[in-house]
Amino acid sequence: MAGFASNFKKQFKFKYIVSWVAVLAALIVLIILNNAGVLSRSVTGLLSRIAYSIILAVSLNLVVGFLGELSLGHAGFMCLGAYIGSFFANSISQSIDNKLIVLILAMLVGGVVACIFGFIIGLPALRLKGDYLAIVTLAFGEIVRNVFKNLDIFGGAMGYQSKPYNTKELYIVAFVAVIIVLIIIQNLIRSKHGRAITAIRDNEIAAKAMGINVTFYKLFVFMLSAFFAGVAGVIYGHFTTPVLYTTFSYNYSIEILVMVVLGGMGSINGSIIAATLITIVNFALQSKLSGDLAALRLLIYALILIIVVIFNNAPAFKNIRERFSIKSIIDSRKARNAKSQAKISDDDAKWDRIESKIKNDTILTPDLPHSDAPDESDSKEGK
Amino acid sequence: MFKKIMCVLMVVAMAACLFAACGDKKDGGDTKAEGKTLLIGGTGPLTGDASSYGISVKNGAQLAINEINAAGGIDGVQLAFDIKDDKATAEDASTGYDALMDAGMKVSIGSVTSGSCAAFGDKAAGDNLFFITPSASAANVIEKGKNAFRVCFGDPDQGVLAAEELAKNYKNIGCIYDTSDPYSKGIYDAFDAKMKELNAAYKVQSFDAENKKDFSTQAEALKDCDVIFTPFYYTEAGLVCKALVNKGSKALVYGCDGLDGIKDQIEGVDVKVTYITPFDVNSKDEKVAKFVNDYKAAYEGKEPDQFAADGYDAIYAIFNALQKSGFTADDLKLDVSEFGDKMIATFTDPSFSYVGVTGTMTWDASGACTKAPQVVEL
Amino acid sequence: MIIIADGLSLGAIYALIALGYTMVYGIAKMLNFAHGDIIMVGAYVILTTLQMTGNPYIAIAASIVVCTVAGIVIERLAYKPLRGASPLAVLITAIGVSFLLQSVAQLIYGSKSQAIALPDFGKITIAGNHIAVSTLITLIVGGIIMAGLTVFVKKTSTGRAMQAVSEDRGAALLMGVNVNRIIMITFAIGSALAAFASLFYLMQIPSITPTLGSMPGIKAFTAAVIGGIGSIPGAMLGGVLLGLIEKVCLSIPAISPYTTAIEFGLLIIILLVKPIGILGKQRREKV
Repeated sequence: MAGFASNFKKQFKFKYIVSWVAVLAALIVLIILNNAGVLSRSVTGLLSRIAYSIILAVSLNLVVGFLGELSLGHAGFMCLGAYIGSFFANSISQSIDNKLIVLILAMLVGGVVACIFGFIIGLPALRLKGDYLAIVTLAFGEIVRNVFKNLDIFGGAMGYQSKPYNTKELYIVAFVAVIIVLIIIQNLIRSKHGRAITAIRDNEIAAKAMGINVTFYKLFVFMLSAFFAGVAGVIYGHFTTPVLYTTFSYNYSIEILVMVVLGGMGSINGSIIAATLITIVNFALQSKLSGDLAALRLLIYALILIIVVIFNNAPAFKNIRERFSIKSIIDSRKARNAKSQAKISDDDAKWDRIESKIKNDTILTPDLPHSDAPDESDSKEGK
Repeated sequence: MFKKIMCVLMVVAMAACLFAACGDKKDGGDTKAEGKTLLIGGTGPLTGDASSYGISVKNGAQLAINEINAAGGIDGVQLAFDIKDDKATAEDASTGYDALMDAGMKVSIGSVTSGSCAAFGDKAAGDNLFFITPSASAANVIEKGKNAFRVCFGDPDQGVLAAEELAKNYKNIGCIYDTSDPYSKGIYDAFDAKMKELNAAYKVQSFDAENKKDFSTQAEALKDCDVIFTPFYYTEAGLVCKALVNKGSKALVYGCDGLDGIKDQIEGVDVKVTYITPFDVNSKDEKVAKFVNDYKAAYEGKEPDQFAADGYDAIYAIFNALQKSGFTADDLKLDVSEFGDKMIATFTDPSFSYVGVTGTMTWDASGACTKAPQVVEL
Repeated sequence: MIIIADGLSLGAIYALIALGYTMVYGIAKMLNFAHGDIIMVGAYVILTTLQMTGNPYIAIAASIVVCTVAGIVIERLAYKPLRGASPLAVLITAIGVSFLLQSVAQLIYGSKSQAIALPDFGKITIAGNHIAVSTLITLIVGGIIMAGLTVFVKKTSTGRAMQAVSEDRGAALLMGVNVNRIIMITFAIGSALAAFASLFYLMQIPSITPTLGSMPGIKAFTAAVIGGIGSIPGAMLGGVLLGLIEKVCLSIPAISPYTTAIEFGLLIIILLVKPIGILGKQRREKV
């Protein structure tokens, strides 16, 4: 027991839990602010949207950032969760009075149904790579949408009339869901299984050779990611009514992908920040640019997207980025203090952001290392 | 690693946005305190596929607001109008609703499209906010609460009307509808039910949002019909007409109010089109002619379509109701629900009617509008 | 029979768009999501010049020039700075460019759909069925372009340089190929193809909106993957196949609402049977 305690102490690092602790702290502050009546209606509504965006981004990051497979059908899982979850909530709401319990049960049911479809989509992932898998997931998302549109039991083209949860309380439930998701994911990626998943990303054949059950882990990641997306869908279904199939188009899947890419592949904290900011930017553009200015909304969003992506990724800006990054600022302060010497231990790996040796090129081009990539050329895999 | 710098930039942006959001709230408070303007809000698709409808409503409504304000407003109170972009989605309509409520909206024109308006109406029912939607015609839009009204015809009414008309006058009837559009599906369902009731046979074809450009298959299947019922919007209907002509069909294209605006889509195409509409841009009516002229003057010579006319009428219906209810500047102090009750009482008053560019309208407690349809032949 | 003719003409349009997709993918290794919107640009250029001059040939020439220039400019400003960065970043930028083009089009032309009257080539009758001449022209021109592209890539030095860049960018660079120039030429050709696609699109579907390109773009992407992305005959085959499937599904009322689901379902099945598309080249994974 004592061994466990010391072991725990040794392994425990604040950065492992920073993501969900920060979300928890933010939630507490928000609840206090809300009770004090400071938060306006649109802010509480926005918070629910932020919450389900975070779940979507983080769960997609599991597939794209950690497993290294490109998925363009995440909105399809969300769609399943939203329709099935709302349907389930409506059907049991007569027998169960407590709305919170109904919501939680709906989340589980919506998540499980999405999870089953995650298994089905995970199967092609075993056979396909790169763009081919991407187009299969995109196709899956469009199929789900198309089928729900034609099912009269789900309202058909009119959308499914869900019963929205009180906006002033929904964000609390949603953020608790976010925290649970974050705890699960943070623990998963630091575990043996997490290492196996990133090993598959970095080199599938080598991972196989090391005895990692690639089939199991690929399916597992797809299912887990779909489950969380389904939960996010249920929150969406309780945020607004009707649940309309138009929302879940491939454009929405791509928007989630944008959150993951801007936040940093394989960075949970990055996904949280990017999801929050993109939702806020969208919200701000929508509420500020009304009337005649609305035509500028897409224009500004597109410009922000292009500029941020180019600035963050263009090899030409590498020096500027490194000079002004938070890390370099902290590092230089550390260097000035000069007291802390670099200690190398097993546990120094940054589990919140696991660098891949072959970078993300592998996701789109399975066997074509970009030899004109200026950085990391020395650490590239040996042929 | 270098993502961090973006994080810093974005955190600053986020803080700015949050502060801006708070600032917004204060603005709303200020206007309330000054008591000089009455905010009429709404949402509609101003970007994306459906944006031409939202922009038309916005233009029509803005024209009405400008006219009312130029004439001195109402009891010295100027009207303010704000329409948020909802991209025809439910969640953006909800968000837009919240933002408008924070800005101090008292009365609303709801949302332009049915799906968004269902979301808008669901929230408005909770606050008892009075709204009158210009163009959201689905049946469920006004079923959420007694606070929901509309200017346009309801979908089922149009379907029934068309079924009666077609079954009476034609033998060989065809129909195309859009399975992905609440408007089209709503009309078609009512049409289908009525046709079955009348024991009239007809051929049916469908399309959806993903396949709404190429109509050669549907035209091929229906080319021998005498008349083809097209309950959807003019963009697609124009293409249907051209596809029919390409297939050598002589069928009459018969549609609902969504076909208004089809004229410039089928210029030079040899096809007969008839549609039921409350608004005819070529009408000799003095009021309509004035509206059309003013609209053209205000918007670079563009002809108003039925959406613009509905938007214009929605604002004037609100204005007339305000006048009839004896609105004074003091009424701005009422909260949304009290204001809503007052508006509902006025609108459901049997003696209240409004003569607009889309005809003479009266409302009942359900929120549905009664007005005479016109038949326009091209 | 008539359904097959309709399917072929729709498929020919998909095929033309898919050719552009597949060219850019094969050489620049990026999914150019903005390709559909180049078609929209081409359509608006045709509309504007047709209104100004009334001459369809000038309109077509103008559209090819503007699309080519637009393709080069987009490549220079949005994609070239990201050469060497993660392909996902390029994918996101492409989406940004797509949004940008759509909103600029909306700002200039408004969002209402605009009708366009291109000259009618009439119809011919084959076995009692009327087939529009424009359909045949679309198919023939599509075939010619495909053959021309294949010859260009196989026989000319620029084409061979393209193949080299596609095979191994680094090695091509070492062999003295100007990679940037080759990629720029690829974009120019891809965009010129988009201008052709916009012309044939308008011949069949004479209506223009700012979002005109997005759905055909996705369908063409699907077609390119079905045929094996990167393969020129594959794109043609995939496009025609997709057009036929779409038209056959639409002609059966019972399943027509599910057309999109069936199309994408078939895509998944084809990929499961043949994971690299019908005519795709198998790449061996190196360890």
